[in-house]
Amino acid sequence: MNIEAPPLWSNGPKPGLFYDFPGRSVGQSLVNDHAKTHTMYPTTTGTSVIGIVFDGGVMIAADKLGSYGSLARFRNVERIFKATDEAVLAFGGDIADYQFIREVIEQKVRDDECGGYSKQLDAGALHSWLTRVLYNRRSRFNPLWLDCVVAGFRAGKPFLGFVDKIGTAYEATEVASGFGQYFAIPMLRSAREKKSDGIFTQAEARKVIEEAMKVLYYRDCRGFHRYMVATVTKEGVTIDDDLDLKKDTNWDLAHLTKLL
Amino acid sequence: MSAEMLAMSEYGRDPRKHHFSPYADNGGTTIAIAGDDFVMVGSDTRLTNYSGILSRNQTKVFPLTEKTMIASTGCWADVLSLYKDLQAKLTLYSQEHHDEMSTPAIAQLVSTVLYWRRFFPYYVSNMVIGLDEDGSGVVYHYDPVGHMEKLRFSSAGASVAQIQPLLDNQLGALNMKDAVPPKVTKALAHQLMHDAFISAAERDVKTGDSCIIYTVTKDGVAEEQVKLRRD
Amino acid sequence: MFLTRSEYDRGVNTFSPEGRLFQVEYAIEAIKLGSTAIGIQTSDGVVLAVEKRITSPLMIPATIEKIVQIDKHIGCAVSGLVADSRTLIDHARVECANHWFVYNQDMKVESVAQAVSNLAIRFGDNDSDGPAMSRPFGVAMLFAGVDKSGAQLYHLDPSGTFLHFCAKAIGSGSEGAQQSLQEAYHKSMTLDEALKTSLSILKQVMEEKVSSTNVEVAVITKEKGFTRHPQDEVEKIISAL
Repeated sequence: MNIEAPPLWSNGPKPGLFYDFPGRSVGQSLVNDHAKTHTMYPTTTGTSVIGIVFDGGVMIAADKLGSYGSLARFRNVERIFKATDEAVLAFGGDIADYQFIREVIEQKVRDDECGGYSKQLDAGALHSWLTRVLYNRRSRFNPLWLDCVVAGFRAGKPFLGFVDKIGTAYEATEVASGFGQYFAIPMLRSAREKKSDGIFTQAEARKVIEEAMKVLYYRDCRGFHRYMVATVTKEGVTIDDDLDLKKDTNWDLAHLTKLL
Repeated sequence: MSAEMLAMSEYGRDPRKHHFSPYADNGGTTIAIAGDDFVMVGSDTRLTNYSGILSRNQTKVFPLTEKTMIASTGCWADVLSLYKDLQAKLTLYSQEHHDEMSTPAIAQLVSTVLYWRRFFPYYVSNMVIGLDEDGSGVVYHYDPVGHMEKLRFSSAGASVAQIQPLLDNQLGALNMKDAVPPKVTKALAHQLMHDAFISAAERDVKTGDSCIIYTVTKDGVAEEQVKLRRD
Repeated sequence: MFLTRSEYDRGVNTFSPEGRLFQVEYAIEAIKLGSTAIGIQTSDGVVLAVEKRITSPLMIPATIEKIVQIDKHIGCAVSGLVADSRTLIDHARVECANHWFVYNQDMKVESVAQAVSNLAIRFGDNDSDGPAMSRPFGVAMLFAGVDKSGAQLYHLDPSGTFLHFCAKAIGSGSEGAQQSLQEAYHKSMTLDEALKTSLSILKQVMEEKVSSTNVEVAVITKEKGFTRHPQDEVEKIISAL
């Protein structure tokens, strides 16, 4: 018999208690009697990441929202970063896990540069490394809650790979996580199939990525209008980190919707 | 529903849907048929997660030595890890014993490796295929925790329930009165394998896109890719 | 060598200025005090023959065991500090059993020699608990077996060095015996010839009069694997010498 008062506001702190994290049932004691537990669900999350290969390079995109459950909590989170001159990474899933793995990768890259004994890590190497890290963590039941897209070059050729939180890894000419799997992938694939040779130019790639991000913003409740695009070519990495879809979208049909 | 659960907001309950599972079913189908002096093995090339197609061009058959291959389907993360582990063990073996590992030895190794993980299994259906020490084709089939069976033909993965009865009937002459098993030629094996993949792709959403067929003989491994329906 | 003996012969990890490890050399010297053992490889199989030193008429000769079985296809003859050999033999047996368990195949003779060598050279190891061993194993071994490359004979000494031989003698009579083996050995030697040769060489180098009670003989063939040669058979060969 539960005699405690219901929460004052949805998922907010109960009188005399601390903030209630998503996934933790209301009224559950914060003092935990397990010897050791691990994160089994994400807290602040990023939604889809998408990527495609084009002639001479790779392009990836992700929006800038960090959601706290259904709350659009952090509105300027960068989920794409440049690891080396031939590798960029984009992450969906738990933002804290992303920030952790980003620190690790950046330190690896610094160690490599300082040591000067190996060629800089390319996208293929980072993809393989991430697969091992994520698989090991899932095998210890302490996963890094991430969807990773690794883009860049491997042995001089464009590379686009994906790894998820249990170590499912593959390479493809177009990849996407989360809602991107349902909305972006069909768009990217049909755009490619319309080309006789199946090869995008960089400009075409940019256009189809923008279209896909727009659809994701329209349909994904955890989507956002501010987003980033990273492009890797032989010339190096360029990241556009202040893109906005607001001007390209039309919400007239949604009479009660006010733009942020 | 308890009063407590009702009091819980939808927002509070929602992330529970994300409860962590270390396994995934990434589909894929494999078939292997042994002949007197060859062995043929094929897989479809579709990699899925739930209803999503992750890749349309991912083989599930991997080379281990000049005359041995492994076909693995199931949880793709486990497939990758198992294959890496086997590759490392094979390299160490050849360096330690100055010899390439034989197909029967690999077959036993795979069983052992799978059983080491008895209480946190690799969620993978495996077949080891190759030429034995006499040069004849062999197929070994495994369950995820290392039970091993030596066979003349077998299938595994998503469409096994459709394909295995077909092979039993056509190659084993089972479930028929007075039927005699045919002589397994490369042409027969290839035809049957191709037909089986086409049929599986018709009925099973987790099988499709294309199939890659490898033929292992004493002269090496030949590879051929045939298209399947992509919907 | 005793002339150059110095403070460099204390530690097993200290080279002398001439680049020698005295403790290892002393261990090799210890073998030369041991009873003679002979191995001969033929195309049909391998023969192992060792001398048993019966130091007292009250001793039961059958309790001396200097030829042991490692696996069904591999035998081993030892000379030197026989007690030391037990650890190495145990290791070889475990390696073979593990190889069978993991790969379901017979371990190669060379691989067994390699595995035992890996243990034999651990005398130099140290960890937080102190040294792993205080000294090298004072024993030499002849590994005889039949594997996929045919009949094989390997010799292992306390330094961990292992080499493939057509015929090899170890122990106190090894110098003379090795000389005789070189003269007697030929590539087309049969198993029976090898048996006869090994016993006749033992007869030459042994101080005692050779008999079926003071020698131990084993044969390893593809067909039967490791088999001890029956005493009456040995007696027949000896009486025909």
